[in-house]
Amino acid sequence: MATSAPGVLERNHFLLRRLHSLSGIVPIGVFLIFHLLTNSTAFLGPAHFDEHVHSIHSLPWLVAIELLFIFLPLAFHGIYGVIIAWQGKLNANQYPYMDNWRYTLQRVTAYITIVFVVIHLLHFRFAHWFGVMEYKAAKPLFFDFTQQGFLNLWLPAWLWMVIYVIGLTAAVFHFCNGIVTFCITWGITVSVPSRQKLSVAAGVLGFVLLAWGVVSLYAFGRGRPEVAEPGANVAAHAARPAGPHASP
Amino acid sequence: MDRMIHFKIKRQDGPNSPPYWEEFKMPYAPQHNCISALMYLREHPVNIKGQRVAPVVWESNCMEEVCGACTMLVNGVPRQACAALVDELEQPIRLEPLTKFPVIRDLLVDRQKMFDGLIQVKAWVPLDGSQDIHLHAPRISPVEQSLRYIFSRCMTCGCCMEVCPQYHDGSPFVGPAPLGQVALHNAHPTGGFFKADRLHAIMGPGGITDCGNAQNCVKVCPKDIPLTEAIGALGRQTTVQWLRDLLM
Repeated sequence: MATSAPGVLERNHFLLRRLHSLSGIVPIGVFLIFHLLTNSTAFLGPAHFDEHVHSIHSLPWLVAIELLFIFLPLAFHGIYGVIIAWQGKLNANQYPYMDNWRYTLQRVTAYITIVFVVIHLLHFRFAHWFGVMEYKAAKPLFFDFTQQGFLNLWLPAWLWMVIYVIGLTAAVFHFCNGIVTFCITWGITVSVPSRQKLSVAAGVLGFVLLAWGVVSLYAFGRGRPEVAEPGANVAAHAARPAGPHASP
Repeated sequence: MDRMIHFKIKRQDGPNSPPYWEEFKMPYAPQHNCISALMYLREHPVNIKGQRVAPVVWESNCMEEVCGACTMLVNGVPRQACAALVDELEQPIRLEPLTKFPVIRDLLVDRQKMFDGLIQVKAWVPLDGSQDIHLHAPRISPVEQSLRYIFSRCMTCGCCMEVCPQYHDGSPFVGPAPLGQVALHNAHPTGGFFKADRLHAIMGPGGITDCGNAQNCVKVCPKDIPLTEAIGALGRQTTVQWLRDLLM
């Protein structure tokens, strides 16, 4: 037992742990669902995607919403989560039970997701720090801007796709497995059968989210099937070498 | 006559000496368990090289899997050595001391940490005296009684602690066994009067929130105690307690 007076973290231990658990579902998990849903509209065509992204950009207080409901919870969940993850000593090699693998993967996917989210933010949200046009300026041609980000920015398109498929899978697993552990932590599912049923439901949700993510990546990666609107790519990426979009 | 029982034992001469492996062979006899075999080796402390060595030190008591004293790693899995039947084990039989508790000598460990944990979570029913209070004993249904009986079988053997990735030297986590006892004593008719005390004791650092939901504990419990369900139930109780503390 600690002899010194408990610090802020110790005194608010329960609250912080529960906030960590909650923040993974609301708002981060909810955001992930809507993010992947919006992205999946790219598969339906650039016009659909542009329309949906535009409607998001029309929200009032967008910067405040982004900060309060995305960036702050993400930072808290990520940083406090790493502190928690350091407290575990993985032993799935010695005790290879399925639940223990899920425990292990929950931590492995956490690290992958953190790295991926940083890459993803630099790739699209903060690319203007590196001299690329800011995504907001792409309005209303968000599809083209995003596609150029995959096809003509920094890395070969196939490598972007590999990075995104890995990041997507890790994030979706972490979220869906997190739903199950969330419900144990909060005492929502107490009995083993209730947890098994929830695991199945979370697995189904996982496949839906994965499918949304994969079709959107496909839509951006396959190149633009139909004729582009005049000036679309040029306006979005004047500084980039205009070249044929390689298909992965 | 040639049939032998082959042991590979992880030994340690003192609390601070380095561990080493030593092998022993003894004549086969049917229906040995690991403790009866260790008793033979105590009488014939000759290792596989033919050297006479100090007898292996271990702890055992009941010989019927109810006291927990002889808990050790048998072929890598924590269990009671007295209930580990030689005829059912793959040879060479590997015996190791538990890794989550300080080794005193050879297979003997100091499990005091677990009893400290029971004190920390107040796993008892306080009495204010033994005088007659002119009331009948509180009544509980047979269904309740049989559920609680399972929890009362906990023998503080340490199997659940051994496999828990969250329970180790560098972590304040109290471990699954004491949490199971909190669930038991909170469910007790008079023990329930002190439910809030016990919940507060597990809401700080090292308490219920430090469980990582790996769920290994329940897989190795020799008494089939539903530890993960207890932890889920305590998750619910602490959620309610936290709201009560906040609002009332």
